[in-house]
Amino acid sequence: MIAEKKYIKPATLEEAIRLAHEHKDDFSYIAGGTDLLVNKYQGNHIAQCLIDITGLAESKKIAVVGEHLKICSLTRLDELGKHEIITSKFPALIMAASEVASPMLRKTATIGGNILCENRCSFYNQSEWWRESVGYCLKCEGDICIATGGKKACFSKFVSDTAPVLISLGARVELRDIDGSKIIDLETIYTGDGIKPRNIPDTSILKTIILPLNQDIKIIFKKLRPRQAVDFTSLTTAVSLNEEGAIKIVAGGVDPKPVIIKGDIKGNLNDYIKMALSKSRMVDNDYYSRKYRREMLRLFLEQSFEELKNI
Amino acid sequence: MRQASFIINGKRHHVVIGEHEMLSDVIRNKTGLTGTKIGCSQGSCGACTVLVEGNAVLSCITPALRFDGANITTIEGIADTHGLHKLQEKFVEKGAIQCGFCTPGMVLTALDFIKNNPSPTKDEVKMALSGNLCRCTGYKKIIDAVIEFAKENSEENMSVPGDGDKQIATQKIKNTVGIGRPYIEANKKVRGMADYADDYQLKDALHVKFVRSIYPHARILKIDTEDASKIDGVRCISTGKELPITFGVLPISQDETAMAVDKTRYIGEIVAAVAADTEAIATEACRLIKVEYEPIKEFLTIDDSINDIGANEKIHEYGKFNNNIHKKAELRFGNQEEGLKEADVVSKMSFSFAGINHGFTEPHAATAYWDENGLTIITATQVTHYLHRALAKTMEEPLSRIRVIKPYVGGGFGGKGDPFPHEIIISHIARKTRKPVKVCLTREEVFLTNHGRHPSQMTISLGASKEGLLKVLDADIAIDGGAYGSFGVVTSYYNGVLLQAPYKLDNFGFKTIRVYTNKPQCGAMRGHGAVNSRFAVESLIDDISHKINMDPVKLRMKNFLDSNTLTVGHYRITSNGSRESLQKVADQSGWEEKYGKMEYGHGLGVGCGFFISGSALPIIWNELPQSTVHLKVDFDGRVLVTSGANDIGQGSDTMLAIIVAEVLGISMDKIFVLGADTLLTPVDLGSYSSRVTFMAGNAAKNAAENLKKEITTAISLKYEIDAAELYFSDDCISSNDKKVDISWLEAIEIVTANRGAVCVSGKYISPKLGGDFKGAGAGLSPSYSFGACVAEVKVDIHTGHVRLLDIWGAHDCGKALNPLAVEGQLEGSWHMGIGQAMSEEMIYFNGLLVNNNFLDYKIPTTLDTPEIHCNIIETIDPEGPFGAKECGEGALHPVIPAIANAIYDAVGIRITKLPIKSEDVLELIKQKKEQHNKQTTIT
Repeated sequence: MIAEKKYIKPATLEEAIRLAHEHKDDFSYIAGGTDLLVNKYQGNHIAQCLIDITGLAESKKIAVVGEHLKICSLTRLDELGKHEIITSKFPALIMAASEVASPMLRKTATIGGNILCENRCSFYNQSEWWRESVGYCLKCEGDICIATGGKKACFSKFVSDTAPVLISLGARVELRDIDGSKIIDLETIYTGDGIKPRNIPDTSILKTIILPLNQDIKIIFKKLRPRQAVDFTSLTTAVSLNEEGAIKIVAGGVDPKPVIIKGDIKGNLNDYIKMALSKSRMVDNDYYSRKYRREMLRLFLEQSFEELKNI
Repeated sequence: MRQASFIINGKRHHVVIGEHEMLSDVIRNKTGLTGTKIGCSQGSCGACTVLVEGNAVLSCITPALRFDGANITTIEGIADTHGLHKLQEKFVEKGAIQCGFCTPGMVLTALDFIKNNPSPTKDEVKMALSGNLCRCTGYKKIIDAVIEFAKENSEENMSVPGDGDKQIATQKIKNTVGIGRPYIEANKKVRGMADYADDYQLKDALHVKFVRSIYPHARILKIDTEDASKIDGVRCISTGKELPITFGVLPISQDETAMAVDKTRYIGEIVAAVAADTEAIATEACRLIKVEYEPIKEFLTIDDSINDIGANEKIHEYGKFNNNIHKKAELRFGNQEEGLKEADVVSKMSFSFAGINHGFTEPHAATAYWDENGLTIITATQVTHYLHRALAKTMEEPLSRIRVIKPYVGGGFGGKGDPFPHEIIISHIARKTRKPVKVCLTREEVFLTNHGRHPSQMTISLGASKEGLLKVLDADIAIDGGAYGSFGVVTSYYNGVLLQAPYKLDNFGFKTIRVYTNKPQCGAMRGHGAVNSRFAVESLIDDISHKINMDPVKLRMKNFLDSNTLTVGHYRITSNGSRESLQKVADQSGWEEKYGKMEYGHGLGVGCGFFISGSALPIIWNELPQSTVHLKVDFDGRVLVTSGANDIGQGSDTMLAIIVAEVLGISMDKIFVLGADTLLTPVDLGSYSSRVTFMAGNAAKNAAENLKKEITTAISLKYEIDAAELYFSDDCISSNDKKVDISWLEAIEIVTANRGAVCVSGKYISPKLGGDFKGAGAGLSPSYSFGACVAEVKVDIHTGHVRLLDIWGAHDCGKALNPLAVEGQLEGSWHMGIGQAMSEEMIYFNGLLVNNNFLDYKIPTTLDTPEIHCNIIETIDPEGPFGAKECGEGALHPVIPAIANAIYDAVGIRITKLPIKSEDVLELIKQKKEQHNKQTTIT
């Protein structure tokens, strides 16, 4: 018997959340769906009820509220560059968004979807048959991590390109659930556990991304990937410097969560690089080898510091 | 299931759809608008692009219910029913359409882009199209089409349909040979009206899905189908024992069964097949089939398979030695020992190459049915003839009861050049169930089916005098064939024999060993057999040029074989445009000014190559001509060309029409080509070994000349005029004295009077060629193509990233019958070479293919493709049709070593491994620096 599937497209946030609770055992929200549907095609995403939130009435707004810019999480990646405040105040975000996947995918993929993008691994993002052949890894209910040859932890990669920049900018996110809203720092949603990489309840909707406007943060964004389009990141770095001399390194593609190192421009930059390397748990689950990605992480950070000096 | 409605191309469709059904499936299967293509099902190739409320979306990853009630535009709906949209016209006019499978997605993506950006730069166009993969064109003509369309159109008139007669007008161009023109089917393809294999929707057809092995090498102990067979809608389950007869494209490698019988030999091999009312039911049933395996020791690398395997079980039983060697091929000419002694300098290097896949955008698909005439199969194939034979054998039916029809094919490049298990299985199930049965492989299954370029290892020595004359070449090659034979015996020879040109070599020898391994089988892929060994030799030549301090262009010029000569292995070289090709790319690239003179990190490199223009010998030995073409002309004046040649997007149907039109002096609109239907068309051996233009083209020319004779005879009798005085041109037949001055139609009235339709036949049989030694037939061809490339690169010395700046290519195709199509073939070849050079490889983990999709298998996008400068060199081959020879494969050979040699010029490192990964480049740069530092310290 083939299981009954549902596709629901609510008109309001409240209705979406209510429906989520109604189907809480077997549902998933879907926004752009450019990753979720591929995971579904490969049998990694098996929710029978999909709640499509792209039609929510309050969606897709970008607005200045007081000293903050609020970006609705359903804003498509290709729309960010059309917004004057984002282009003038947050060019690194535009750069990061424009390096996600391909132009066609960016026309559907949302910024919320990108920061909540499921972690990836060569041994996980495969068909059901493939994963059976390799012997199911930890992330799909197996016993060991295949990429590391048997470790008991999952090292699937955090692959969002926009989140490192947003974290550099001190982004907060508004989460909405049946019991109301809460606003938390974006960087706190990532767990570091490759199997369950985010700590947001399934029923919560990431409604808004909130960026402080009154700050002067310079960011150097870099991305490593084999091709200049389509590919997920092998390494993303956002290195920022604020007016007070505070430095923040945010690296993606190197660990199950974004690796964040905070410091001061007057500090020992090489130490920060060492810390970033030490916190990155890279394994051979990418097009590039672990060794090369570590080397490139060092290089990207060195280059970023150099470039920050010259801005 | 739920009811939904969509307004598609202005027409409302009420459909019942699955809750999670994708928009592409609804469009294709519920409304029959099959112009929307599915290439990957994962949003990685762009073929499925449609417009929803005017905005482009990837319909294969778009839930249909998201857009319930929406206005959708597919490729079929962007122009009115008769004409073409102006962008479609541009695609046609510019030759931006080859196989046509990516075309609908490209057009719709571009339309959406131009709507928002009416005056784009070239870089912006490249960016906009970077999510749409094309494997045929190298993107150049697509980008040109979009830019020119944008230039010519303001935003206001974008939706105005264009002039649909434009292509017809181009077909009326006089002087057919040598005039660039779109493919005869380009309009149909650009409108989404060309039917590919999966577009055929037969009544009450069953859908087949497969259970595939999860072990590389295992005995099958039990297949339990009980639970699966209980599912409602499952109509038939088949296993290997039902199809025990072996097959293979080569008579000497009949080593494969349609499904594994007693044991599996690679992860992904088909173990059972389910036919059901829907694909979803078949998929579910496959999940319920339980297969019990007993794993056997697997052999995954050349090293594993080349040595004695002890007490372990061989992959195939036959073969007299206790290893997994499939074929040893060895030929030696001259005296290599003497050659080595004579050489002042010898360069010897070892190389390794990853396996690569054809990456055609259309997945394998087929539909089979049986009726009173036996079996009919409509399938995406390059080799209708060999499939015809393989089906007769495996179905145990007479050849006369098998009909193979090739529909439009979305690219092949060798990957659709064998008979395949899925074709045999659906034929079998169709016979069992008496229903039409269809199958469409997923992209993952396409990769598992493979038959791509062999992973290879080789050590080659090349010796030369200090004056730069090549004295000796010795090649020791091992290739990894995977689980079955395919074209592998030929590949084994080609790796070696195709090194005996384009340079004169008196002392030449090679040994190739092909091994079986427990991985998907390898076979023929564009540039078959010699791409990797050519890379090695061109790299060695570059090395020698540095060792003797001679410009590598000059060194090559010194060594080229002349026209009308024999190679050491008895290849008959007739026309030869090596020198012209090399000179062209050297001049155009500014070689003299730039080579060796640019800053560190910036380099220029060169490579050359040659290839066969069709194998002079058939695969299955018989006395049939290599190609036969029939022509029929009836009272209406239209000439029907029937040929078994497989147009797979390379434009061979158009080539046949051009030749016939040229001989008869008539316009192209009087020609109709019917290709590759084994009931209706005479035998052509298929689209492989770059044989179609030369062989089918010559057969068409011969047929047209025979028809011309018939017409001439009839007219000369009627007008009492010597046949030699009659001229055919401009749709007229005339004599100098104007005694005869009649139209084509009047001529046809004369020739068909009291006789009816005139049918003639033409053929091509290769001349007897080659020596009388064993293996002399390998690589023999009635003609050879030649070419050269120069590449310019910049190497980031900190990351090892290589950026391709420009590729200059020149290829001697004898005579470009259709220069637009020839350019397209060349640009596509160079693009495919760039892929192998820079990013493509099949990556395995314990025999399991890791990168089995278009996200992880890295075909270069528009943004990864540099400027390609295309040059056609014409040498007018004495035996080619109007002087033509191949242009579809050989051009690939020189581009890869040109890139590697450019890297040497840039940073002084020698690339011996493909693909050229940044991390390897960086490592080599470091090693070189260390070496330099050591030397400096010692000094």
